[in-house]
Amino acid sequence: MAEQNTMIRLSGIKKRFRQKGGELEVLHGIDVEIAKGEIFGIIGLSGAGKSTLVRCINLLERPTAGKVYLDGVELTALPERELRQQRRSMGMIFQQFHLLMQRTALENVCFPMEISGVPKAKAKERAIELLELVGLADRTDSYPAQLSGGQKQRVAIARALATEPKVLLCDEATSALDPNTTAGVLALLKDINERLGITIVVITHEMSVIQEICNRVAIIDGGKIAEMGSVEEIFRTPKTKIGQELVYHEGSNREAYVGKLPHCYRVVFKGGISNEPILGRMMIDCNGVVNILSGNTRHIEEQVYGQMILQFPEEKELREKMIGYLIEKGVVVEEVEYV
Amino acid sequence: MFKEGMLALVGAGFWETIYMTLVSTFFAYLIGLPLGLILVVTDKDGIRPMALVHQVLGVLINIIRSVPFLILLVAIMPFTKAVVGTVIGAKATIVGLLVAAAPFVARMVESSLKEVEKGVIEAAQSMGASPLQIMLKVLLPEAKPSLLVGSAIAITTILGYSAMAGFVGGGGLGAIAINYGYYRGQTDIMYIMVILLVIIVQVFQEAGMRISRHSDKRL
Repeated sequence: MAEQNTMIRLSGIKKRFRQKGGELEVLHGIDVEIAKGEIFGIIGLSGAGKSTLVRCINLLERPTAGKVYLDGVELTALPERELRQQRRSMGMIFQQFHLLMQRTALENVCFPMEISGVPKAKAKERAIELLELVGLADRTDSYPAQLSGGQKQRVAIARALATEPKVLLCDEATSALDPNTTAGVLALLKDINERLGITIVVITHEMSVIQEICNRVAIIDGGKIAEMGSVEEIFRTPKTKIGQELVYHEGSNREAYVGKLPHCYRVVFKGGISNEPILGRMMIDCNGVVNILSGNTRHIEEQVYGQMILQFPEEKELREKMIGYLIEKGVVVEEVEYV
Repeated sequence: MFKEGMLALVGAGFWETIYMTLVSTFFAYLIGLPLGLILVVTDKDGIRPMALVHQVLGVLINIIRSVPFLILLVAIMPFTKAVVGTVIGAKATIVGLLVAAAPFVARMVESSLKEVEKGVIEAAQSMGASPLQIMLKVLLPEAKPSLLVGSAIAITTILGYSAMAGFVGGGGLGAIAINYGYYRGQTDIMYIMVILLVIIVQVFQEAGMRISRHSDKRL
């Protein structure tokens, strides 16, 4: 990736925390490049270090080692005052919103502008515009306590956008919201990305969030990047164990078959072929049946994907014939771990 | 039961008590509020951790707070004399009160400010707020309802101290209760003073709670 297209570059990021009885290293050298204008996802299970990693981007946590670049500027080398200046070009939203409870929605959105010295009248004007953008034009004078979770997150988004940032960092921004509200907030983030060209970094533990809005994703596990690539790639063929865990988990009762049933395979259908009765034809042509354990469809970057977990027959010859049939039709087939 | 002039005496004592309480509360906050801020800011998970400053200040506050008020009042008499030129009366009591109350206020302020969610401070930091901006625009305004409750408690505590100061030549209702009620055995006067003090405490406490509740936007 050419330097001028890179918005955020993390190189060799390590983070150690001092603890009782020694040090704990939570990030073991992370290298990531995030392009201008993309929505980049960082996914991992809780405790994987993803929240620490996003805090290292705006240096709320100072990495123990490594460098952070924002649009070519090395943040880790800046003195405090200049770092504060740079932070104004990075907005951040949080799982628990973190709004000022004693200020109205409008005053919350004005807050970052107050800090950076924008004249009051101008700040107010822009804050009203931003609240309109996030669909809260009628709640300007409400206090956070009077707003729902989704509305609070919208205020937080408006506030994060107030200083016209180049980057928006989202730390589990939808994890405290119900599915409908989550969809609304994600749609808003996508809209902001498209309309304003802001680079967005999404931290989450939910694959569905990544699939919904991200272009690329890094899977973080045990303080390291396990896998990184386009969301489509990772969804179709997750290479690592953690990747498979995250992808399969989505919408399937994984516990019911992983390690319990033999000959289980995950099949992924892409786009148009989801509409063809490939599976039915296979069963007729190969003269055998499969057991469907779970199945769903996903939209990833405007493409439809179907994924299914199938149990194939015991008989090896028949099984291989069926799998061969599917692969020939362009379906991704992958065996699910059986212990 | 009242002799001529008693009413005037009580009236003067009442205003003296109010005056001593409010003036010393004001000065106690003038000193205690910044100290409380420093305690929170320099704490190890504060926005500017400074272990030495935090510890020295903490110990200093604890020392003053552990001296019983009457003893403190007597112990600092040379200082009181140097500041206001006398060791008796309302003015002298104010000096003693604020020395005793400022560390107490600092602790009250500290606990109020610590109630502010850490995440909100983090959010402000992520926007590029300086430590001073966080203090003035986040910590203090967000803790306002709690600070107001604290100030009601501080005022009533200081009022109680001011009555105690009557024993060592302080003014106000406490002095009247001691001089007339205790030394002269006029118990009825003592009870009247006690009732008056109770009423004042009730009024300040209730007013403080109401203002706090009214100002809190979380409800």
